[in-house]
Amino acid sequence: MKRKIVVGALTLIGFLAAGVWYYVFVYSKTHHRNVADEQGLIVPAGQIVKDYETDEARANKKYLNKAVEIEGFILKKDKDQAGNTTITLRSGDPMANIFCTLKPGEANKLHGTQMVIKGICTGYLSDVVLNEAVVLKSE
Amino acid sequence: MKKAILPLFFLAIAGFAANAQKVYATKNGQIKFNASSPIEKIEAVNNQVDSKFVDKTGQIVFSALIKSFKFENQLMEDHFNENYLESSKIPKAEFRGFISNIASVDFTKDGKYPVTVEGTLNLHGVQQKVSTSGSLEIVGGKPMIVGVFKVKIKDYGITGLYIGDKIASEAEISVNCKYE
Repeated sequence: MKRKIVVGALTLIGFLAAGVWYYVFVYSKTHHRNVADEQGLIVPAGQIVKDYETDEARANKKYLNKAVEIEGFILKKDKDQAGNTTITLRSGDPMANIFCTLKPGEANKLHGTQMVIKGICTGYLSDVVLNEAVVLKSE
Repeated sequence: MKKAILPLFFLAIAGFAANAQKVYATKNGQIKFNASSPIEKIEAVNNQVDSKFVDKTGQIVFSALIKSFKFENQLMEDHFNENYLESSKIPKAEFRGFISNIASVDFTKDGKYPVTVEGTLNLHGVQQKVSTSGSLEIVGGKPMIVGVFKVKIKDYGITGLYIGDKIASEAEISVNCKYE
């Protein structure tokens, strides 16, 4: 009886350890946060830039690390040093715009000048910065 | 009389152009972070680095958002942000300083020039003096700055469960920025 319990406990510990190992080293490498699955916070291009310019700390509380959905006009399309496509959306403010790095494969969805994109807001430098963005609409 | 003024006018413009300083900038520079230990590979890359420098004075700024650092492992990225660099509280890191030997760089001639950069790094809300050597390369008239330096994680008040064991006590920061 005692032996059964010990064997059972050891098996359980073994499974738990394997589970933890799998989660930390396998699952976390293959499963990344995907902005496409998240509900985006819808905000006009001009508004998010204005919020950051007015009070950066407050804007960070509202937008930082969140999926944000922005509609706007494309100002510039470029490539970063790793080959990812980046786009700048016009805010209407001459000092700061919205700088987005697109997820690989999303660049094919760019057609026109007006678009809706959803990305993770990582903060504010010269522009409001979005990362891992997906294109929802482009015409 | 008019004939005499015209050359003067051109001379003035030429003089102005020669003295004018140029600001080189990029919004998609690259910074790599490496704090790997023999046990664990801990590497991240940020492709959204904002940087500017002035050709005459050598004044230089790098700004990076902590949440723009991407890891291969999502769990590691979450720990980096939440437990170590506390990026919700301190979202930015910034370096401000000077390329001290900027005068040795000929911006009109393609080539690789060794440079020394000195300044202050503000990481995790802590400011520390940093000095490093790297290179400034001119390719087709456009500059590119490459450099590597080490930071002692403890100097920046970064504490966490695994420092000195799974995570190296010194992190290597590699900068690679192409300017326009």
